[in-house]
Amino acid sequence: MKILVAVRQVPDAESRLEVSEGNLDLSRASLVLDGMDEYAVEEALLLREAGLEAELIAVAVGAAALEETLRAALAMGLDRARLLVGELADPLAVARAVAEVARDEQADLILTGSQQSDWDSQALGPAIAACLGWPQVSWCHALQLDGGVLRGRHDVEGGSAAFEVALPAVVTTQQGLNEPRYPTLPNIRRSRSKEVRSESIPVTLADGWQLVAQGSAAKARLGQRIAVSDPQEAAAELLSWLEQTAKVRL
Amino acid sequence: MDFELNAEQRQILSSIRSYAKERIAPLAAEYDRAARYPREQLAGLAALGMLGATVPERWGGADLDSVTYALCLEEIAAADASVAVVVSVQNGLPEQMLLRYGSDAQRQRYLAPLALGQKIGAFCLTEPESGSDAASLRLQATRDGDGWCLHGQKAWITSGGQADIYLVMARTGRPGPRGVSCFVVERGDSGLSFGPPEEKLGLHAAQTTTVSFDGTRVGPERMVGREGEGLIVALSCLDAGRIGIAMQALGIARAAFEAATAYALTRRQFGRRIAEFEGISFKIAEMAARIEAARLVALKAAWLKDRGQKYTREAAVAKLLASETAVWATREAIQVFGGNGYSRQYPVERLYRDAKITEIYEGTSEIQKVVIARQVFGEAAQTTAVY
Repeated sequence: MKILVAVRQVPDAESRLEVSEGNLDLSRASLVLDGMDEYAVEEALLLREAGLEAELIAVAVGAAALEETLRAALAMGLDRARLLVGELADPLAVARAVAEVARDEQADLILTGSQQSDWDSQALGPAIAACLGWPQVSWCHALQLDGGVLRGRHDVEGGSAAFEVALPAVVTTQQGLNEPRYPTLPNIRRSRSKEVRSESIPVTLADGWQLVAQGSAAKARLGQRIAVSDPQEAAAELLSWLEQTAKVRL
Repeated sequence: MDFELNAEQRQILSSIRSYAKERIAPLAAEYDRAARYPREQLAGLAALGMLGATVPERWGGADLDSVTYALCLEEIAAADASVAVVVSVQNGLPEQMLLRYGSDAQRQRYLAPLALGQKIGAFCLTEPESGSDAASLRLQATRDGDGWCLHGQKAWITSGGQADIYLVMARTGRPGPRGVSCFVVERGDSGLSFGPPEEKLGLHAAQTTTVSFDGTRVGPERMVGREGEGLIVALSCLDAGRIGIAMQALGIARAAFEAATAYALTRRQFGRRIAEFEGISFKIAEMAARIEAARLVALKAAWLKDRGQKYTREAAVAKLLASETAVWATREAIQVFGGNGYSRQYPVERLYRDAKITEIYEGTSEIQKVVIARQVFGEAAQTTAVY
């Protein structure tokens, strides 16, 4: 069987982000594999290590620089990667591209992070499932596979629920599911020669979507500190600051 | 000239940096306080392949180039200098000695488990009465049948009592540099004992002990290199070891620099951030300048090593500059922190304590100057062996 892991690239949490002319400038940020997607990569590896015979394929959609993110997933242990290069504006268009790869590869299971640490749309997993007409389980934190049936637990409103779903399916991952491994030096070196198949895809928006404008806004921190140790005094000072300086109507 | 790392080097570095930040740095203060040997951290690094970073794959290593290895070492040292020194000794001394002078049987038996991190190695050259003057060492190896019997004591052995494999320089012949041979001693060998961990200024987690040999019997298969070549075996790896210590020092210096920078940007006095005072910002600027300069020399030494060229001078310059930078930068970092810097609640006092040894071990600053001067005056050989 084939497991597809859709991965995304986000700025390192310690990167300094800059906004220039209304757009986020990531040119000086260091970009890494999204932490939520690391759980997806790890889970694919664990399923195989539990005895499943599977080919594990990483897939990413977007800028050519995503190759390094795919390489990070390959260094963790995935077998090969597909990179679709194109500037895509919305998660639905990315999902359509991933779904296309899933059909092409005849994938049985798609794993991806539940959310992204940058734009946080939480849409990719469900959108892929919708494109393929597959069932989806989001926010999964326990997973096992027995003869084509996935069993596990995932978050639902107000708690967590056990689920059982037959393949093919889309599962989105989160913390608690596993402990993603660090790639070893030999695996990093070997991964450099693993296949990353790169192809260009046309710039498309999902049907009915029209790009009106895009931009980012940054607001500087006000740098205001309340340096009082007594909590009541601190609260009083905060209220007066909100009222007088920040002009919040209380 | 090309200062750009390639994609593989960047990936390795970013991976080791994450690991060091997430898994090693958070434990550093606790291990320092408890003077606990960092088994857990070393096991983690072993799993990544870092304990055999520069050893060829054939012997279980990761076969990294020296530049990448050096940068990885800086990352580990920035997280915990005690962990870094064990990694540096393992890679730079026992492994390199076995790789360069060991027989295939010795490489199979000792090098491979060291490279895989299944075993920890120690380098036994210094004695209570023999430090920089390495050729004066007295630990005696006497003929015993077809093998040898070792009597004497080594001092300041990093990982003493914790390590499994000891590379021991012992006197097998006449006084002077050519009467020394190198032996592998295993922890379980007869007559081997260890002193209590030394009470040191810094590097508390990297335990250091005396190692005593009271009739330790080793077979002929334990000799590394030829009889009488022990000092060559030991000293030939010192150039590489010096790059390692330079990178360790730079890691410590960088950690102090980063901590001081962050503190200067948040600490407020007289109504503004202390980074806005020239007295503070100049300290930060000078740290940045000195660290960058020392790092460039150290990386040049590593680069020359990768090209198979001589790098004795560059390695000595790098160790001299980097260790002095570390001691200076950590002291200034405490000054930036003020009273808080003197407290164990903040990391800079540990960095200051950890930094000092880098001016001493694997060749003191004075010895580095001797080495550099010899290179400058062009009389590299035919002089006293110094460590």
